[in-house]
Amino acid sequence: MGTFVQQVFNGLTVGGIYALIALGYTMVYGVMRLINFAHGDLCILGAFVGLTLLTGTAASGQPGALVLLLAFAVAIVVIAAAGVVLELVAYRPLRKADRLSAVVSALGASLLIENSIMLIWGPNVHVFPAGLLPDVIWHVAGATITFVQVMIIFASVALMAALYYFVHHTLFGTAIRAVAIDQDAARLMGINVNRIIMTVFIVGPALGAIGGLFIGVYYRQAYFTMGWTYGLYAFIAAILGGIGNIPGAMIGGVLLGLFNAFAAGYLSSSWQDAITFGLLIAILLVRPTGLLGEPVAENA
Amino acid sequence: MDAAKKPVTRRNEAIGIALWAAGFAIPAFASSSWVAIAAMFAIFAITALSEDVILGRGGMFDMGHAVYFGIGAYTTAILNTELGVPIFLTVPAAVLLAAGTGTLLAAPLIRLRGDYLLVATIGFNAIFVLAMQNNPGGITGGSDGITGIEAPSLFGIPLFSQSAMFWLDWVVLGLVLFLMRNLDRCEFGRALRYLKQDELAATTLGVDARAVKTLAFAVGAGLAGLAGTLFAVQLSTVSPSSFVFTESVTLFAIVIVGGPGSIPGVLLGTALMFVVPEIFRDFAQYRYFVFGIAMIAVMVLRPQGLWPRRRNGL
Repeated sequence: MGTFVQQVFNGLTVGGIYALIALGYTMVYGVMRLINFAHGDLCILGAFVGLTLLTGTAASGQPGALVLLLAFAVAIVVIAAAGVVLELVAYRPLRKADRLSAVVSALGASLLIENSIMLIWGPNVHVFPAGLLPDVIWHVAGATITFVQVMIIFASVALMAALYYFVHHTLFGTAIRAVAIDQDAARLMGINVNRIIMTVFIVGPALGAIGGLFIGVYYRQAYFTMGWTYGLYAFIAAILGGIGNIPGAMIGGVLLGLFNAFAAGYLSSSWQDAITFGLLIAILLVRPTGLLGEPVAENA
Repeated sequence: MDAAKKPVTRRNEAIGIALWAAGFAIPAFASSSWVAIAAMFAIFAITALSEDVILGRGGMFDMGHAVYFGIGAYTTAILNTELGVPIFLTVPAAVLLAAGTGTLLAAPLIRLRGDYLLVATIGFNAIFVLAMQNNPGGITGGSDGITGIEAPSLFGIPLFSQSAMFWLDWVVLGLVLFLMRNLDRCEFGRALRYLKQDELAATTLGVDARAVKTLAFAVGAGLAGLAGTLFAVQLSTVSPSSFVFTESVTLFAIVIVGGPGSIPGVLLGTALMFVVPEIFRDFAQYRYFVFGIAMIAVMVLRPQGLWPRRRNGL
């Protein structure tokens, strides 16, 4: 019983992070039909930006929570700005080109960001400073739950609720959904499509930066190839829920987190990734549009 | 309409054959390290051309091509080191196993549209690398891989020297190039091109989309398996790190950056990705940083590729 509860909490923590990152993939796919391969690397860039601030200010004697909030704020701003630059430079010129050109451009952007991290911060594993957050531990039904886990779960739920409200209950969110359904029709209705796409490239990376920094705070480490690993997981989560579907990405993230936790806990941890990818392929074969389906019919 | 009769195409083919023939002289003036680089170019050119069958000509988003390359390399390595099978006799097994895997993996997946196929093939690549690392049955050697693969011998004479190995790779490259040129003209090649251009129209005219696409995967995977054998022999060792996802991305990028369906484009792409980095060895840590910039720049400035396929020509 203890193991079970433990895996549920581990799974929910990781699932919340996956969901935050998956939202970036799914929003971009929704409006542009493009897999933004650079998204995972952007998120980890966020972790590194945050880490630099944390180590820089940790010695200043400020309270940990304040330092952490500052790190999150700066990471969000920097990564959102990077997302906008990415869209302007690598994706906007290719909007009318063949899809494969945009895919290769996205892969190039991924390599560029990943190796920029390597060149700036070096190829070694960086350790996050300890003692930023209270060392509170709860014991629930034989499982140990840390303060960090509770913080991540609550923050992800709050952020997802906010995003859901933004997309489904505001005028701007309605415009995003309109662009996702039909760009040309949306333009005819007076929606500034460029502005919508730019917004998506601000909101997605901003959430991703939070997810990336959560990864750093939770696992207490960061390294430059992390973007691929976690990006791929988050991407699988997006597919699981139905890529392009925002609630789908949230559910997919949480389900994948739970699935991974139980696969690692009860099956084999050395085959964990293979099991996850096996699940992905099985989903693609049985229900390629994901659990919740795509929001729009595919016309390509 | 027939490409073969166009004088420009004929001229280009003549230039291509002349360049290939001249290539045999490389060991005469190049240092042994450059001969090794030229051999690697030949091996990766074959792999990139095999990816082009699936991605460039077939229009199927295969981002796990390193799997088939790896299956060929591991097949040769295991048969040679465990069972002592001579290198040349491992070739049929390497090609057939790679082609068979390609067929098996592709058959259920080709009905998936582009992006989903891409994701599924990424998944296959990750599973393949993990399987090789976990050393199932103790035959893949885990993360260290397999060492001590013999040199191939031809009529009892072992091809030990780097030059002999290069000539072997170069001959195989020539054969594959000949095959690729003929692919454009045979029924299968034309059906594949038609399917890529307009699947609905092609199927209406009686093209069996499923069969043709599966065959494309089999041919592409089989050729990659052949290149895998050459790769295992060239390095005399194989390990999982040579077949990771980044290699598949590189092959994918070679085809799209060079020019899908264009033989000179794919060769140019291979040279840019594998030969140019050797010139700038001192800046090795910037390699993928520069690749990233180059991939974005080429796509933004020339989305059709550096040397795109001409309408009916080469």
